[in-house]
Amino acid sequence: MIDRREQALTYTLLGVFSLIALVPIAGILLTALQAPGEVASFGHPNGLHFGNFATAWDEGNFSQYLRSSAIVTVSVVALATLLSILAGYAFGMMRFRGDQALFYLFLLGLMVPLESTVVPLYYDLRDLGLTDTYAALIFPQVGVSVAFGTFWMRAFFRSVPRSLVEAARLDGSSSWSTLWRVVLPVGRPAVLTMMVLVFMWTWNEFLLALVMVSDEALRTAPLGLAFFSGRNTTDFALLAAGSVIVATPVVILYVFLQRHFIRGMLSGAVKG
Amino acid sequence: MSGAVLAPPGEPRRIAYLYLLPGLVVFGLFVLAPLVHSAWLSLFTWDGVTPGAWTGLDNYKAVVSDPRLRSAFLHAFVLVGFYAVLPIAIGLLLAAAMSRTRVRGLALFRTVLFLPQVIALVVVAVMWRMIYAPDGGLINGGLRAIGLGGLAQNWLGSFSLALPSVGLIGTWVMYGLAMVLFTAGVQKIPQSLYDAARMDGAGPVREFFAVTLPGLRNEIAVALTLTTIQALRSFDLVYITTGGGPGDSTSVPAFEVYNRAFRGGDVGAAAAIGVCIAALIFVLTVLINRIAEREGTR
Amino acid sequence: MASVSFESVTKRFDAVEAVRELTLAAADGEFLVLVGPSGSGKTTALRMLAGLESVSEGKIRIGERVVNRVAPRERDIAMVFQDYALYPQMTVYDNLAFALRRRKAPKQRIDEQVRRAAAALELDALLERKPGQLSGGQQQRVALGRALVRDPAVFLMDEPLSNLDAKLRVQTRGEIKRLQKEIGTTTVYVTHDQVEAMTMGDRIAVMNQGRIEQVGTPAEVYDEPANVFVAGFVGSPGMSFAPAGRLGLDLGAPPETIVGVRPEHACPWVEGEGLLGPLDGEVAYVEALGRETFLGVRHEEETQLVLCVEGRSAAQPGDEVRFGLVREGLRFFDPESGRAQRR
Repeated sequence: MIDRREQALTYTLLGVFSLIALVPIAGILLTALQAPGEVASFGHPNGLHFGNFATAWDEGNFSQYLRSSAIVTVSVVALATLLSILAGYAFGMMRFRGDQALFYLFLLGLMVPLESTVVPLYYDLRDLGLTDTYAALIFPQVGVSVAFGTFWMRAFFRSVPRSLVEAARLDGSSSWSTLWRVVLPVGRPAVLTMMVLVFMWTWNEFLLALVMVSDEALRTAPLGLAFFSGRNTTDFALLAAGSVIVATPVVILYVFLQRHFIRGMLSGAVKG
Repeated sequence: MSGAVLAPPGEPRRIAYLYLLPGLVVFGLFVLAPLVHSAWLSLFTWDGVTPGAWTGLDNYKAVVSDPRLRSAFLHAFVLVGFYAVLPIAIGLLLAAAMSRTRVRGLALFRTVLFLPQVIALVVVAVMWRMIYAPDGGLINGGLRAIGLGGLAQNWLGSFSLALPSVGLIGTWVMYGLAMVLFTAGVQKIPQSLYDAARMDGAGPVREFFAVTLPGLRNEIAVALTLTTIQALRSFDLVYITTGGGPGDSTSVPAFEVYNRAFRGGDVGAAAAIGVCIAALIFVLTVLINRIAEREGTR
Repeated sequence: MASVSFESVTKRFDAVEAVRELTLAAADGEFLVLVGPSGSGKTTALRMLAGLESVSEGKIRIGERVVNRVAPRERDIAMVFQDYALYPQMTVYDNLAFALRRRKAPKQRIDEQVRRAAAALELDALLERKPGQLSGGQQQRVALGRALVRDPAVFLMDEPLSNLDAKLRVQTRGEIKRLQKEIGTTTVYVTHDQVEAMTMGDRIAVMNQGRIEQVGTPAEVYDEPANVFVAGFVGSPGMSFAPAGRLGLDLGAPPETIVGVRPEHACPWVEGEGLLGPLDGEVAYVEALGRETFLGVRHEEETQLVLCVEGRSAAQPGDEVRFGLVREGLRFFDPESGRAQRR
């Protein structure tokens, strides 16, 4: 029995909150298209001035910031994916001494946020002369992502029917070839979800970049935006354009792969 | 022969360590070691340059005694209300409404509702700073447009309103997560439970508490965990929108970590706060999941 | 081509003994069936033979070689799993070729063997499909094909037919048996279905709670069951039992002796046929199968026998029925051990 009133209420709630979610986003898009140099005002459309994007890109150095972000993010995603698959495979499919204890260690690391480790990381890397390098941004994030990724891939590997692995073993497949030829092909959605989440978390990461990077050449997109906003507090249009540029890559990924984003978060994906 | 179960011949065992090694090394070096190092640093007073001095647990005592630190953690808990409680309430409202109806186009709603989650918090902060701007911002502009200009405030610049204003940004970011989680969860509750409740004479309120809420136990636990952690870690939003101000009204633990380590020259204190954040997250996560499990076996 | 033997093999999972001192052998080329209810240890025995479980005590030989510590891939065996375990992302061709490729066989030979196995199982048209696009019966054949391609010394089959519908099961039963006769490879086959066991095995081993109750040809196990368990398990329906004293017949056996009789040896009373009886009872249930009808008959309290009537019967539950037993069909069992007694 479908209650008309409840249906109306549901659609209203969904509609209202969807609108509330969209309005700021639509606003910032409109703001980015405003005529440059005019009185700052959020969301008032007064023409389609795409030039703001070009200005942000060149003068604002956002092209550089995006490049930095790309380098860091792609590296983190690639490394974290590989390492998580390997570690998750061990936890999910093999029995070995200490597997329980080691897994709890990873679980613990899952709950440790970067905010708690960024200080010693800075000073240790400073002593090694590695601050202001891509490595300083890449490896801590790989570490954090591996905690999540191992947990995620382990869950997947445990869901694979035992008989499949046993059949492969009987057929003479080594653990390595079983992983890459038999088990992982089945897990493409799981791996993709992990990659997508790590991409988003890495791209959006701010504090680590703020602490590690002082050289403008290495600024990642969020960091670049923070500095940019410090310099352009009144030029809403330019600021909006820069913001849009920073957010766009992840949003595009989201639009095409939203099923994976949502599925990942729904499973309680926690980032440290 | 002992009671131990032998592994079948040929089953990979030692090689497991080889698979684990790379991930474990990076994880150990860049997550675990720094955490331990943080705990170590927290026992010193150090400015990052000159040699540090042993202070034992003084930095931790300061968390309770120093009014600035106390309020930072207090603010974090206020944010938990905005980041976690409010969004979950909104999500539950939707779940309650949805439990008896069929919704078409849910996928589209989900896509839109979840969007705030994928946008970098720095972008969100910049966005909302413009929205909250006293002149030219969306809120004040809107209020003036409908003749309520008297209500216009300097939202982020007011001692009393800054924290709630920041909190509401967090609500905006998080409610989509809760809504998506709960709509998915509600659809998994068997219709037969609602039918049975209705036959027992339950009205919509009773149905919510007897069927919907228990059925969403796991989803609520997940939502609570994710949102609470976000609230306790909150840095990006505060840094960009208010910088902790005005005064101390929006200081948060993570911001204090940054402040004291890199602007105030008190690395030990920063490390201690960082450890406290991790400990808080750990305790709350375990607590939430314990409660969820216990409710489940009732 | 090899024989298989279990020598006093025991398997323990923590404190539980899944298999107790199993001693069993399959000759080269034989089709041996392990049959029994769930928990009887038959699958565990098979998995030990495959090397998927370790052996707690005893020896397992393939040919003359003791293989306890030999990895599965070194044992020259192939296994058909209950859920087929086909590699889901590979085509049928790749599924069949997988093991050969792992052994680095030359591409030419791989192709030959795959196509030969495919032809034997009528999979030629399906070689480019993926398992998800196949029916249950087709998947089952691919699973068989995968084992075939390996050309191993021993085939192991773990309830390969249990996921098929009844008709397909009967059909495939015959095909597997025929194939095995053609190729002549030693086969160890596990099933819980005693009809499968009876129709397919050269010899069957009836297992219960980790032990072998009886090993023999289907005829031996059916006609001369070693104990009450085997007698009741084999046959559909199995033997009915009653204490000799309850039947009130002159059987030359002490009254506590358990008498077993199969439905085909218990029928409605006819004079002058040399039947033992007459016995009276009340029909408890009727199973009309068209070609024959089974009547569950209650004779005195706690004694229920199953009669077999050719064709249809007019009997209804509650009717009184008079029946008799065929002397040659009776079997006697010791009331304490359950073991068969000499007649």
